[in-house]
Amino acid sequence: MATTALEHELKEMIIETLELEDVTPDDIDPEEPLFVEGLGLDSIDALELGLALQKRYGITLESEAESSRQHFANLKSLAALVESRRQK
Amino acid sequence: MTFRGLSNRPWRDRALAAPVAWIPPEGDVPARWLTVSEWHGRIGAWQRYLIDTPNLSGRWRLYEPDPVEFSAALIAIWERGDHVILPADNQPETLRSLSNMGVALGQTAPTSESEHESSRPLVSQPPQWSSRPLPGIAVSLYTSGSSGEPQRLDKRFDQLDAELATQASLWPLEANLIVSQVSHQHIYGLLFSILRPLCESSPFAAQPCRYPETLRTWLQSCQNEGLRMILVSAPPALSRLPETPGWAPVSAALDTIYSSGAPLSRDASDQVYACLETPVHEVYGSSETGGIGWRVQQRGSTWTPFPDVEVDQDADSRLWLRSRHLESPDQWQRQADLIMLMDEGFELLGRADRIVKIGGKRVSLTAMDRALAELPGVERAQTLTLQRRDLRLAAVIQLDPEALPHDHSQHRETVKQLRRALAARFEMPVLPRYWRFVSRWPTNAQGKLSADIRQRLFQDLDDRRAPRWLGEFADEDGWHVMLEVPERCVYFDGHFDDHPVLPGITLVHWAMQQARRLFALKADFAGLERLRFPQPLLPGDRFELTLLHRKDASDHGEAGESLRIDCDSRRGKHVSGRVALVIRQEGGEIVDVE
Repeated sequence: MATTALEHELKEMIIETLELEDVTPDDIDPEEPLFVEGLGLDSIDALELGLALQKRYGITLESEAESSRQHFANLKSLAALVESRRQK
Repeated sequence: MTFRGLSNRPWRDRALAAPVAWIPPEGDVPARWLTVSEWHGRIGAWQRYLIDTPNLSGRWRLYEPDPVEFSAALIAIWERGDHVILPADNQPETLRSLSNMGVALGQTAPTSESEHESSRPLVSQPPQWSSRPLPGIAVSLYTSGSSGEPQRLDKRFDQLDAELATQASLWPLEANLIVSQVSHQHIYGLLFSILRPLCESSPFAAQPCRYPETLRTWLQSCQNEGLRMILVSAPPALSRLPETPGWAPVSAALDTIYSSGAPLSRDASDQVYACLETPVHEVYGSSETGGIGWRVQQRGSTWTPFPDVEVDQDADSRLWLRSRHLESPDQWQRQADLIMLMDEGFELLGRADRIVKIGGKRVSLTAMDRALAELPGVERAQTLTLQRRDLRLAAVIQLDPEALPHDHSQHRETVKQLRRALAARFEMPVLPRYWRFVSRWPTNAQGKLSADIRQRLFQDLDDRRAPRWLGEFADEDGWHVMLEVPERCVYFDGHFDDHPVLPGITLVHWAMQQARRLFALKADFAGLERLRFPQPLLPGDRFELTLLHRKDASDHGEAGESLRIDCDSRRGKHVSGRVALVIRQEGGEIVDVE
């Protein structure tokens, strides 16, 4: 399973932003869900991540919950979002 | 023996040849008595010392582990009519926070260049009794901070005397020997091991009794001398009383055991009773309230209020108190504990519900703790909020030794299972995010998971250079410190990205840091000596550092000290060997391994 440079960058951003003390980049499977059953992130984390994406890549998320949820499904979809919409 | 309150200055007119303190046997030297006359000499020495020490504030900060010196210093300060402040411990952080509170006396590590390490007079001389009135405040103490930051509490002489008189009438000391395993810098030790003997003219041991082996030797000595001992103890010591070798030959010399600071488990109470054939009298109270009640668990779990303490409960089961031990003796005061009134006395139900808000959601930490404690493998649990991360909960979990995680993936798996079990009852955002798995409950000397212990458990979150501390204990091999390698530790940086390992030198650095704290090392790193690093530690590894400090080893000529370091994990040895230390020169550069 090859991880792209962007995926690795995002893994580190998630760990740093959310202060996941016991998670290493290797623990994040790009295909596994980030929220609830996978990495175990929750609604507060979603807000934090949105903020971090804006700061780091200049991405503004739509207010619609449904489309945000799709972007945050797993690391691959998050990477795709950053790839297509990054301003920085 | 008659009781005389502190307000009557019972220290002044005792028979000069009477015993004040029992100097325990050491090696071949038998025990002997310190007389009132010798003790008065120490009071006089302290009086002289206070006169010679510049202090415009009239406040003295006293930290003195030696009971004889402590009592002499306390009385010398009172006789001047000055204010005495008792720091809870002599940790650098505690001393720094009190550095503007008067002049330091006793065994105080320096908080600044101008202060000395030991401020204690040498030459005994006769005391001077004047007619100067006693100070308005007898002592200022600090709470152990089990529910937040340590708080200062002022005690007047009438408050202390009320409590001392109550105890004297309930449990007269009758000239028995008081031996203490607790610190007299706290209210319980101060009352039971120093002030009660003063007011009832009973002798106390001239040294604290830290270890069970010492207790055994002293009991034997008491037995030979025809003395009876009253043991002032606490749950940390009593719950770790070794069964072997048997206590039967010496237990007859024991008269009474007291315990306070935290509740003693029923198992521990039974075990002590079986070993020492003496029931434990547990005292319930706090620095704020003084003594509230007492019990002997072999007679039941119900607490009996002290004779001059009135106890009530409100609709929420909260405890209300009115007592002469409190600051306002006529007022009813609500407490944080929950009780149930019984025909005789009351049952303690625990602390009132602790409710916090996480991400706008209210959560009861009490309910969370209970839910965690019910899970398989969990022996004890406490959730808490961290000061700098109040959005997320943290949890301290004591696990069955079989269930302890030893590496990164086991740790992740354990957290996953606990979170999954909790998710049935709690919403995701309130589930603890930071977990500390311990093999024994980490407490301070009073048996509490206090603010400073909590700070130590989670220090690595704020300091990427610190290991994850998970408790420690001492035995004849030295200090054993349980640690984990934090996954985000800064020392991995710059190493092999794919397979990060912890450099061996980091372990030596951590060992030095722990040693400085545990042994109050004044010496510095001088060089590695026969130090081996058989295999590296990985992120998330749980390991045990064993540290033994030796002062005699002098291979290096001048002032030789050494530190024996062993580091072991489930996978094997990671460090073994010695570090040589040299005494730090005045103003010299501090060498450190970074």
